[in-house]
Amino acid sequence: MQAGEALVKVWDLPVRLFHWLLVLLFAVMFATGKAGSEWITWHMRCGYAVLSLVLFRVLWGFAGGTHARFASFLAGPSACIAFAKKLFTRAPAPYAGHNPLGGWMVLALLAGLLLQAGTGLFANDDLLNEGPLAALVTKATSDRLTSVHVWNFNLLLLLAGLHIAAVLYHAGFLKENLIGAMFTGVKRMPADAAEGAAARFASPWLALALLCVAALAVYLIVQRPF
Amino acid sequence: MRTMLLAAATAIAASSASFDALAQTKPDVLVKQRQAAMTLQAKYLGPIGAMLKGAAPYNADVVAINATFLENLARMPWDGFDASTKGEKTKAKPEVFSDAAKFKAAAEQLEAATAKLGAVARAKDEAGVRASFGAVAKACGGCHDTFRQK
Repeated sequence: MQAGEALVKVWDLPVRLFHWLLVLLFAVMFATGKAGSEWITWHMRCGYAVLSLVLFRVLWGFAGGTHARFASFLAGPSACIAFAKKLFTRAPAPYAGHNPLGGWMVLALLAGLLLQAGTGLFANDDLLNEGPLAALVTKATSDRLTSVHVWNFNLLLLLAGLHIAAVLYHAGFLKENLIGAMFTGVKRMPADAAEGAAARFASPWLALALLCVAALAVYLIVQRPF
Repeated sequence: MRTMLLAAATAIAASSASFDALAQTKPDVLVKQRQAAMTLQAKYLGPIGAMLKGAAPYNADVVAINATFLENLARMPWDGFDASTKGEKTKAKPEVFSDAAKFKAAAEQLEAATAKLGAVARAKDEAGVRASFGAVAKACGGCHDTFRQK
């Protein structure tokens, strides 16, 4: 670490676990979605896990610590424009949490994943498998939602690609190690910027409780015991 | 005599050719035919799948009826995949026509699998139904994976 730099904890364990589990499941969903009919059972099971994770992250966006909250990282248009202008110079404003564009990317990814998981619940494969809610709608509606499910995945790939490209840009051009920070939770920042970055963190037990709530909600959607 | 015969043959050939043209089913009808056959296959396959999964009680009579329908329906879509339907808006991939041999093999795989299922179902052989159902599902899904757009 150079003089004038400080280590700042920004990502709590729930955020980091959420992120990397989602990456893993995204890869599994991609593979099992393309692999063909025989993998559909695993595709559905992992889809429930994705939906649970995303619902948890939405709850954590309201109940989590400073940098996990939507209110802290969804910046207004002027902040976004100011950040975008500086993005191509080597002097960007360092952000402890998500930068303004990154924050909106988080929201876009979560919304895209919710749409993906939501349409998956109503999808069918014209054979023996259908999402747990497909029985509630007509075949035509299920078919339309299946098409959305297929096309929205391309959008998700695009968003994920942009997300990765941005992180690599930060690493290569701006010399900001965002990937490492998502593993360790700690960012290296200029000391003056770090001073104002003191964050509040919510209890990981609260995160576990919210994850259980999210998983229970998904269980009820899938099993519909009532 | 010879000229007359030739003229008669020509006339017959011409009339039968025009008869063929009249008998030619329109491409959009051919598409409807194969889609209808597929829809009905799914309709009669579904309940058997549900019974084998335990989602519905096993009913050997229903399985026998459905499997027999399925066996017949499995032979119905294929002549609907006529070259004249290439321009129609369907989920059929171009490979249906460009890789016709493989498509034919996939169709025959379904016919064989449903024939086997039909035989054990009519014999009220539940264990046999359980053993041969997988091949039917695999034939459906395998062909969809290769020849049908998502």
